[in-house]
Amino acid sequence: MTSPHRSGGLLARMRRRRAVPRSKARRRIASATRLLAALVLAGGLYTAFAPAISAQDAPLSPAAMEGKALFDTSCISCHGMNAQGIEGRGPSLIGVGGASVDFQVSTGRMPLGSQGAQAVEKPPVFNEEQTRQLAQYVQELGGGPQIPEGDNLHSGGDVAAGGQIFRLNCSSCHAFGGGGGALSSGKFAPRISNTDDRVIWGAMLSGPQNMPVFGDNQLTPDQKRDVIAYIQETLKDRDPGGFNLGRLGPTTEGLAVFVVGITALIFTALWIAGKS
Amino acid sequence: MKRRKIDVRTLPAKAGNEVEDRLGVATPLRGIINKVFPDHWSFLLGEIALFSFIVLLLTGTFLTLFFEPSMKEVTYDGSYAPLRGVHMSAAYASSLDLSFDVRGGLIMRQMHHWAALVFMGAIVVHMLRIFFTGAFRKPREVNWIIGSLLFWIGFLAGFTGYSLPDDGLSGTGLRIASAIMLSIPLIGTWLTSSIFNGEFPGEIIISRFFIAHVLLIPALLVALISVHLALVFKQKHTQWPGPGRTNNNVVGERFFPRYTIKQAGFFMAVAGVIALLAGAMQINPIWLFGPYEAGVVSAASQPDWYVMFLDGSTRLMPAWQINIGIGNGYVIPPIFWPTVVLPGFLTMLPMLYPFIEARLNRDNKIHNLLQRPRDVPQRTALGMMAVAFFLVLVLSGGNDVIADKFNISLNAMTWAGRIGLLLLPPIAYYVTYRICLGLQQHDREVLAHGVETGIIRRAPDGRFYEVHQPLGHDHEELEYAGWVVPKKMNRLGALGPALKGFFRPIERPAEAPVSPGHPPIEPAPERREIESKH
Amino acid sequence: MTLQTTGSNGNDHKSSVPAEIDYDDPRTTRFEKVKAAARQDGVEIVHYEPQFPERGSKTEKRMTRTVSLMFLLVGLFGTAFVVLYIAWPWRWEQGNVLMKWYTPLLGITLGLTALFIGFAILTWGKKLLPREVSIQERHDGGSPEGDRRAVGQTLAYMVEELGVKRRPLLGLAAAAGLAPVAVVFAAPIVGGLIKNPHADNQMFTTGWAPIKEANGGTRLIRLTREDGTPIRPGDVSAGGQMTVFPGIPGGASNAHADSPTLLIHLRPDDGAVARANNVKGTGHNKFSTADFMYGDFIAYSKICTHAGCPASLYEQQTNRLLCPCHQSQFLITDNAKPVFGPASRSLPQLPLAVDDEGYFVAKSDYQATVGPDFWERP
Repeated sequence: MTSPHRSGGLLARMRRRRAVPRSKARRRIASATRLLAALVLAGGLYTAFAPAISAQDAPLSPAAMEGKALFDTSCISCHGMNAQGIEGRGPSLIGVGGASVDFQVSTGRMPLGSQGAQAVEKPPVFNEEQTRQLAQYVQELGGGPQIPEGDNLHSGGDVAAGGQIFRLNCSSCHAFGGGGGALSSGKFAPRISNTDDRVIWGAMLSGPQNMPVFGDNQLTPDQKRDVIAYIQETLKDRDPGGFNLGRLGPTTEGLAVFVVGITALIFTALWIAGKS
Repeated sequence: MKRRKIDVRTLPAKAGNEVEDRLGVATPLRGIINKVFPDHWSFLLGEIALFSFIVLLLTGTFLTLFFEPSMKEVTYDGSYAPLRGVHMSAAYASSLDLSFDVRGGLIMRQMHHWAALVFMGAIVVHMLRIFFTGAFRKPREVNWIIGSLLFWIGFLAGFTGYSLPDDGLSGTGLRIASAIMLSIPLIGTWLTSSIFNGEFPGEIIISRFFIAHVLLIPALLVALISVHLALVFKQKHTQWPGPGRTNNNVVGERFFPRYTIKQAGFFMAVAGVIALLAGAMQINPIWLFGPYEAGVVSAASQPDWYVMFLDGSTRLMPAWQINIGIGNGYVIPPIFWPTVVLPGFLTMLPMLYPFIEARLNRDNKIHNLLQRPRDVPQRTALGMMAVAFFLVLVLSGGNDVIADKFNISLNAMTWAGRIGLLLLPPIAYYVTYRICLGLQQHDREVLAHGVETGIIRRAPDGRFYEVHQPLGHDHEELEYAGWVVPKKMNRLGALGPALKGFFRPIERPAEAPVSPGHPPIEPAPERREIESKH
Repeated sequence: MTLQTTGSNGNDHKSSVPAEIDYDDPRTTRFEKVKAAARQDGVEIVHYEPQFPERGSKTEKRMTRTVSLMFLLVGLFGTAFVVLYIAWPWRWEQGNVLMKWYTPLLGITLGLTALFIGFAILTWGKKLLPREVSIQERHDGGSPEGDRRAVGQTLAYMVEELGVKRRPLLGLAAAAGLAPVAVVFAAPIVGGLIKNPHADNQMFTTGWAPIKEANGGTRLIRLTREDGTPIRPGDVSAGGQMTVFPGIPGGASNAHADSPTLLIHLRPDDGAVARANNVKGTGHNKFSTADFMYGDFIAYSKICTHAGCPASLYEQQTNRLLCPCHQSQFLITDNAKPVFGPASRSLPQLPLAVDDEGYFVAKSDYQATVGPDFWERP
């Protein structure tokens, strides 16, 4: 399996491909992030193999204690004692990491409202502080990937590089304009063109529901930054050609040509041939 | 030197004579300007197609000045930052340049694309009018066939044009087109590799499509449209039945001046609507699709609306694969049926329809009068059946978007489409047939008994009855003339006017039985007491 | 109604018996002359009524003003179009809202210009010109009998003169000799286009075919990302997927449009199911897929067997792979067999291994045919 050394080598190779050298500070942050990622991964692997030990032995930080209190009132009914999961009701949260909790809780997907094809976005039940505490609790229980600090995770990202990653990996489900699309049997990929940086990052890192996981070895934090930059700067930008018809492609264009164009022209024809 | 005085007033006449001496145009011109055209809104639908075709030619010519039909790989370095540094074909790069680095290029691109959608939409609407009114009957079968061909050639024009920018969406469409060609038994692989010059996508398909799109297909369209119009001229337009109208005359306006003025104005209106569409609504944002890469696709990948029915039929087709166990084994893939056989059927059946109908009715007469759809219930019902079939397919072509936006299961949409495709056309037939008969019956009732007045009287013996205003004299039963039967008192001028006007009511009596082009019958000066004659 | 038609020969454009019209007669009005001229074409103007019975009436003036206003608006919007075209910032710039209005403003001003020209002309014609009803005779049923006979006789006479009936050899020889000529014209057009689809066995090979090296050995092809970097098993997390391309020059380009492959890292229990089904096989394949997986990694062609779109909507919980073009669904854990939609054939599976340096390689090319189906696929 991956060791920090190897992943460092690979990442170094990826860095070489960049045409523009990064600033020293950026590089330092990036390498720190990489180190963090490697540690997190190592921790995750460790906990994956020994969840029970960590769940019981590690002392919880004050924030995690607060999180545990919230968990025990709101989440325990499905995810069980110490987030071990309950067969048929909710999965174990050991090793899913703070990223997953952050994503699921801050978008209101958890706690689950009603049974459906998949959990849907709704107003969050917990505030930011509580979300952080819950995430901290699950993180300390079993480790796992975490979303970096801060609300802006896309500044300095390369939109052109991000666009290419987006088209290859994201557009197949979330559509070229980020408007989302249908999956099998009532499941769907949600709209992402109005989503916050942390949520997108958390989704890539944790692979919520049917979304595949894009771990840091597959898409490096820099590449994630690029993708988010593409989504936030290009997809949120105003369209240069007028109203975008929901960016749904030829379907709405075809609808529009009949509802607006042909209808207007038929009314014109009615007026022309009408009695004066 | 003595200067000759020029009399300005005689100048046009003089100039005209000079032209006439050389070209001799007055005789044919007299025939043309004296030609009579019937006037009805539904006769203007074909013009929408014609005029949007002219817009297509104009905008398309502009686009060719900048488009580079080449699949040579280049690195984009234009204004659109999110694609800078990306490798792409020269065709895609030049399409981006057209959108972002040519002043006013994007509006021309959008006008061209919207005009294409309007063109195909108008063709379909026009064809429906021709079909439902029976305008395809003898002597106009040839023009009906040319019209159907124009749809399919327009379809090809649209598809080749949609493929040219070589963006992610069009490349996906091209790939599906190659799969369709591949599926043809025996010759599929040979046909595909001949068209793509090898394996998909090859390096030449854009150049080939370009020459087809800008030369071969437009030339064919221009030729067929010319013949189409020439035949309308030669055979003279059909007209609705009505007072003074017979199978042997045309009642309407002369070509010049009013008809010409209306045509010129309508052309500008069509161009204006297309420009407004192009300004108000973005179409085909190729910069978001990215360059075509074989491994890249977007959710909601659809063709333009006039191809969508084939996409729908492909989606609904069950996975029925035919294996032929001879030798190494041969395959007829399921995509063959909805994309090759079905269109073949859809091309041939409409073209043959006029002859089938004439044969079934043993009808060899010449028809210049149109029929109201209700008067030919079988044909109308068949037409609605076809419309229902087409609509189910079109909706299924966008079923993933519908599923996503209306929170319906995608699989349920597919099944709904499959079942709907079998159930809805017969239902449409039955419902339409019954509605036609009902409308016919009501027409005959009004002719026999008169218009309902809404006045209830009580007879001395206690019975209640409604007073009817008979249309004929002395209770004679009128014969149905194939035209609108007045069914409301204000249509007879015997009641106050129906409220008219879009924003505020216009107080003006409604006109008497309107038949296009016919002088309006003077409304009755005063309201008369309705005689109870029942 | 008396119609001065052009006689019974049915040719209404070249009048054989023109009515006598004295165009210089001062007693008749110009309209009466026009009316008479129309009769020459079988057109009777039966109703011609000015819109405004009294000249210069209030409504007429109002209508004139309306049309004039429309023409003035044409000038206004036309000028606006030109000014905007020249002066408005138009170059694309991220986040620049002003520039994004360039195309809409051009479209709206251009559209309104054209619309007002159109409606000005239409209103002029419709509201200011007199209403008219004209009746024109039709002359259906083709040419007069005499002409039909003339053409028929001439043609028949020509056929007789050619004498094919009397000289049958001539006919036969002409038919036999001219038959290939059709091909002569078609050959250069069609022949140049024809290309053998089975040259290099291209329908059955992809970029994953191992390369024969000079020393006689074969080199297996690495799985690479779009940029050509190879992939280690650790690069794809469980529940993740990655689009991979053959690690050959241009492997990610469209020159290898049948090579994009989806590498999926299944979760351990799903991996076990997939392995078991791999051992069982699809029942159609003539080869064993038992050892095609590497650990919990499984790789399938991204090119849909239905129409060739990239089937890439991977649902990591249900392990379904959805194709966005026609909604075929494939079950990854069961040999990627189609479970819904129009696809009839499983996605081909790429046999995986890891080389000495720890990078993924394809053990061989695809065993099943990649991409949409065709007639001669065995």
